[in-house]
Amino acid sequence: MNLTQQLVNGIVLGHAYALIAIGWTVLLGVARLVNFGHGQMYMLGAFVTWYGVSRLGLPYIVSIPFAMLAGVAVGFIMQRVMLRLTLKQDLVSIMIVTLGFGYVLHGAAALTFGSTGQILETPLSTQDIYWGDLWFTYQDIAIVIVAILFFAALKYTIDRTRIGRLARMVAEDPQLAALAGINVKRVYFGVFAFEGAAVALAAALVAPRTPILTSMGFDEVIVTFVVVVLGGIGSVTGSYLAGLALGLFTAFFGAFVSPAYATAAAFAVLIAVLVVRPGGLAVSPGGR
Amino acid sequence: MNNRPVLEAKDLKVAYGGNLALDLPHLAVRERELVGVVGANGAGKSTLVNGLVGWSRGTPKISGKVLLDGRDISGLPTHERVRSGLLLIPEGKLVFTQMTVEENLSSTSDETDLGQGRRRYSTDEVYGLFPRLHERRHHLGSQLSGGERQMLGIARALRLGPRALLLDEPSIGLAPRLVSTVLDTVRSLVDSGLTVLLVEQNVRAAIEVVDRLVLLERGRIIAEGPAADMRDDPRIAEAYLGAHVA
Repeated sequence: MNLTQQLVNGIVLGHAYALIAIGWTVLLGVARLVNFGHGQMYMLGAFVTWYGVSRLGLPYIVSIPFAMLAGVAVGFIMQRVMLRLTLKQDLVSIMIVTLGFGYVLHGAAALTFGSTGQILETPLSTQDIYWGDLWFTYQDIAIVIVAILFFAALKYTIDRTRIGRLARMVAEDPQLAALAGINVKRVYFGVFAFEGAAVALAAALVAPRTPILTSMGFDEVIVTFVVVVLGGIGSVTGSYLAGLALGLFTAFFGAFVSPAYATAAAFAVLIAVLVVRPGGLAVSPGGR
Repeated sequence: MNNRPVLEAKDLKVAYGGNLALDLPHLAVRERELVGVVGANGAGKSTLVNGLVGWSRGTPKISGKVLLDGRDISGLPTHERVRSGLLLIPEGKLVFTQMTVEENLSSTSDETDLGQGRRRYSTDEVYGLFPRLHERRHHLGSQLSGGERQMLGIARALRLGPRALLLDEPSIGLAPRLVSTVLDTVRSLVDSGLTVLLVEQNVRAAIEVVDRLVLLERGRIIAEGPAADMRDDPRIAEAYLGAHVA
């Protein structure tokens, strides 16, 4: 067994997981909300990218922002529909509504794109790189580079910019934020739009690694859930590290034991971690 | 002080689940005036200031008019009333505890033209007013004492360029020496041009700094007048100042 190859696989997978989860991290961190339609938003991002490349003949690099715009639109519509629930922080209703949204997206995508699997082929996914015994693609390199740049930019935005400061104020206390003159509704809209864009970006980059189906989405929600909870809810740094750790764990567990039980094993680790550290592996308790 | 009201409430009513918590036919705070609102627990003091800014941690039903410089702001959501210059420093949690003092004081608005009678205090100015905050500028809000949080709450409001400031029980939980420091600072802000409505349970301390006093009971004004006159009002003297009136 080539351990270095598993390390490479784990690093790529880890960055993919982190990228898929980042929208939810911000959603949970800032708005204290969950979105169980996240996986179907990922599916939609993948199909919109595929549609742009395969049907409209757009260059891959143009199809990515095209998919992100679709993600923003879905996020915006979801928030518009759930605004009252969001402001009341009615988590149970929000869980059900977002789950329902996921199914609506699934049905709409099946009607639009059909139920057969597709291959999202990009100029990067078809170019292999062989380096000694190691094998990876340019798509893998793109995933790692974009994930690192995206997380660094997000961390900088949240910690150092006015928009990030406003988001942190709303995250800590939306009512006190209103007394600071902040339009809390607008921040919530922004967070949902960001989540839609981020998951679409992740889909456009990660989906070319496997065939895409309109029925996919469940695995992505599970991965996101594990990454967000393990990383410490709302922690950007924590999510990055948790995504990476989960990717490495999945790759090595798959190689040494069996890929079939990797998700079950990941949950076993999640339970163990939460028993020891209920706040997750966040760098700091209030962790960003 | 001139006679033009900066802040006015007309027929302001606040109800929680059908129970009327505040019924205020009229209240005005004039330019550069410091008005104190006093009363027992549950008299409706906090409900009054919360109602003026359309804010609450509960879900009250609010009706009536709130005018700021003669402009009806009752239809505006809280954040827009704040941007219009009506600022509330609430009781209890009044600063962002997971942010540093410096971040708490950073601007949440990029508006430059604040309009008539408003001025955004600079960070240096608020540090000048509260040197302790400058010393603690890199500390988190959660690491501050009660007095420091109160200072930070006031400083944060000043950074937003208030036209009128609503202060809810700034003396709660503070040592007596700090109470007078905070209230003296409020007085000096009024003397330098600010308009303030101060809700306070510590009547003895409040009456020393306010221009006018309003006594609330069960959500209604039962007495109001200049502080000097109200000091002799038996309802104030007996219940709040510990004096025996024959």
